[in-house]
Amino acid sequence: MASSSTEIARGEWHPAGSSHSVPSRLVEEGGSLKALDGSSTELASGVFAAVDISDRVGAIPRRVEFADGSLFETPDNEAVDRFLKLKGRVDHIHEWERFRPRLIAVVAATMLCGIAIYRYAVPALVEVAVLVTPPIVPQIMSTSTMETMDRTVFNHTQLTDERQNRIREGFRAIVTFSNRGEGGYTLNFRKGGVIGPNAFALPDGTLVVTDELIELAGDDTEMIVGILAHEIGHVDLEHSLRQIYRAAGVAGLIMMIGGDIGSGAEDILVQGAGLLSLSYSRGAESAADRHSVELMQKAGRDPTAAARFFDLLEEKLGDHGDTSILSTHPGTPERRKAILDYAAELRAKAQ
Amino acid sequence: MVVAETASIQAAPARGVSRDFHSFSFTGSGKEYFGIWIVNVFLTIVTLGIYSAWAKVRRNRYFYGSTVLLGRAFEYHAKGKQILIGRVIVFGYLIAYNLLLTFVPIVGIVLVLLSLFFVPWLVARGLRFNARVTSYRNVRFDFVGTTGGAFKAFILGGFLSVITLGLLTPLASRWVGRYVGSNMRFGGKAFDTNPAFGPLYRGLFLGVGLALVVALVVLAIVMGTLRMAPGLFNPPAFNPSDIQIWQWVIVVAGYLATACLYGIVALFYSAAVRNAVWRSTVFDGKHRFSSRLSRGRYTLIAISNLLATILTLGLLRPWAAVRMARYKWTLTGVTVVGAVGTLMSEIEAQSSAVGAEFMDFEGFDFGF
Repeated sequence: MASSSTEIARGEWHPAGSSHSVPSRLVEEGGSLKALDGSSTELASGVFAAVDISDRVGAIPRRVEFADGSLFETPDNEAVDRFLKLKGRVDHIHEWERFRPRLIAVVAATMLCGIAIYRYAVPALVEVAVLVTPPIVPQIMSTSTMETMDRTVFNHTQLTDERQNRIREGFRAIVTFSNRGEGGYTLNFRKGGVIGPNAFALPDGTLVVTDELIELAGDDTEMIVGILAHEIGHVDLEHSLRQIYRAAGVAGLIMMIGGDIGSGAEDILVQGAGLLSLSYSRGAESAADRHSVELMQKAGRDPTAAARFFDLLEEKLGDHGDTSILSTHPGTPERRKAILDYAAELRAKAQ
Repeated sequence: MVVAETASIQAAPARGVSRDFHSFSFTGSGKEYFGIWIVNVFLTIVTLGIYSAWAKVRRNRYFYGSTVLLGRAFEYHAKGKQILIGRVIVFGYLIAYNLLLTFVPIVGIVLVLLSLFFVPWLVARGLRFNARVTSYRNVRFDFVGTTGGAFKAFILGGFLSVITLGLLTPLASRWVGRYVGSNMRFGGKAFDTNPAFGPLYRGLFLGVGLALVVALVVLAIVMGTLRMAPGLFNPPAFNPSDIQIWQWVIVVAGYLATACLYGIVALFYSAAVRNAVWRSTVFDGKHRFSSRLSRGRYTLIAISNLLATILTLGLLRPWAAVRMARYKWTLTGVTVVGAVGTLMSEIEAQSSAVGAEFMDFEGFDFGF
């Protein structure tokens, strides 16, 4: 008692593993930390290095654990901080967490980092993922999708063999110029049912064109070939895989921070990421359109044939819609113009 | 002090036993948590997710440390490293699972069966970890549930709930409540939970009813608006091909509406479950818990929190989290039979049984 002792804070002391508590004082005495009760009897002690003082988190009670398992607890965080500062220990994380003007810098930095990850890191990771994906993945995805569609919406085609052959002939002409060659694609005819006039490509190179679309095209086989070239573009450019990885990447990004977001908000944000990926899908449509123009050009066919399809859409379906945030595809007039422009550009280059 | 407590143990059975209701309280503030939260998010991003384990520790320390009963706060003792190890193991399993499924699809069935065992095991371990890193008055909690119990409560219950289109959801909730509640220990003494079906089914059906009312109101507004739009519902101008253009709009609207309605039912029901589970929870055979959440108010708070969070790009999330915690804990309490001091001294006597082995394993943590 005679030696110099400084009181650090007042609180409660628990023996090891016990719920009992005794009002006590934490003091520093001769290089040791001690917990003393009201009559200055020593309850626990230990050298500073052997005592575990918990990091500060907000205003929750501070814990000082002694080597014998006993515990001193105090709400006086400031006093413990002052003592630790004298010992040369500053809790930097807590310093940054305090509600002070410099927290604005943390907020700004966090938002910048979030944007940077979304803009640069996610796309880069998507490219890596696409590169390392073994071919069996798109095959499994496609086989099951095709089976499901056949069972639920599609029916056997009602096109005549002659009509099918004419389209297949055009298809063969362009497919040789695709990245995967003729073996990389299979063309299927189906009656579309509820999905109506449509054509789509599965990631393994399975192409489907509906009877309804072919009827809509009338005698314009070239136009169908142009549409098929567009679908080949989706496969060549691996759009499906990219889109899946992108959605997964953004969901992962949200979940990474997610522990601090809350489950309801997390769900909504993941759905929101789905909406955002639609704008990505619009970019993919334009890229596939350009791919179609290139393929048709290389095959010596009419590169603007696909643009006629958009004329048809406008005429027959009255689709003059502009691009909106909720569209998977860019506006029809816009796409037609883009195709015509790109075809003209390629022609100018060829000359 | 100790003498007085010993005396009261002997006195209690003789005279009328005192019953005191004690409410929980939540002392955290949105402002204070904002700093903790934004630094957590920032460090998580710049460390590519690795810091999220330590972020979880700071978040839980703040929330546990702000939850107060009888003047004392709860404490969370997990270390970031433990949680990181747990996450790496789960992440590794998921990668191995997906790689195997990709390259050797035939083992898919085996993997699914393995997961049926692995997931409940993880859940049981996670609950045990979370219990053992939680303390109150310097005494740790413990969890003694088995993998088999987790399988019944989470996998079988979930399966039954799905195949009956939600009709057996209260059964699943009851199993989960019993599994989590009755396997919890504190200082060597047991909790016991046995939620009744009545309040669970009432919560479920009221939730569905509320969602239907909201659906009808929204539908009426939408139909009214569409009537104004020329073309679609005007028979002479109606062109079947318009459906092509409208299809997408309808699909999106329908999807959003379904998600919202599901959200309402889920929130309303989860408040009912919390009440039912806590009200049927008894500690040491006599101390009874209570939870008096208003199902409607809970749903409203959750929805307004969500809207506030989204509209501020997440910046109001700390405020929302604290607001919800305060609401929940303020309406939660426990009726202690006899003197609190007596209860605590009994707990101490057995508490040494727990403790020694709690730090030697990985931190599988799940947010229940």
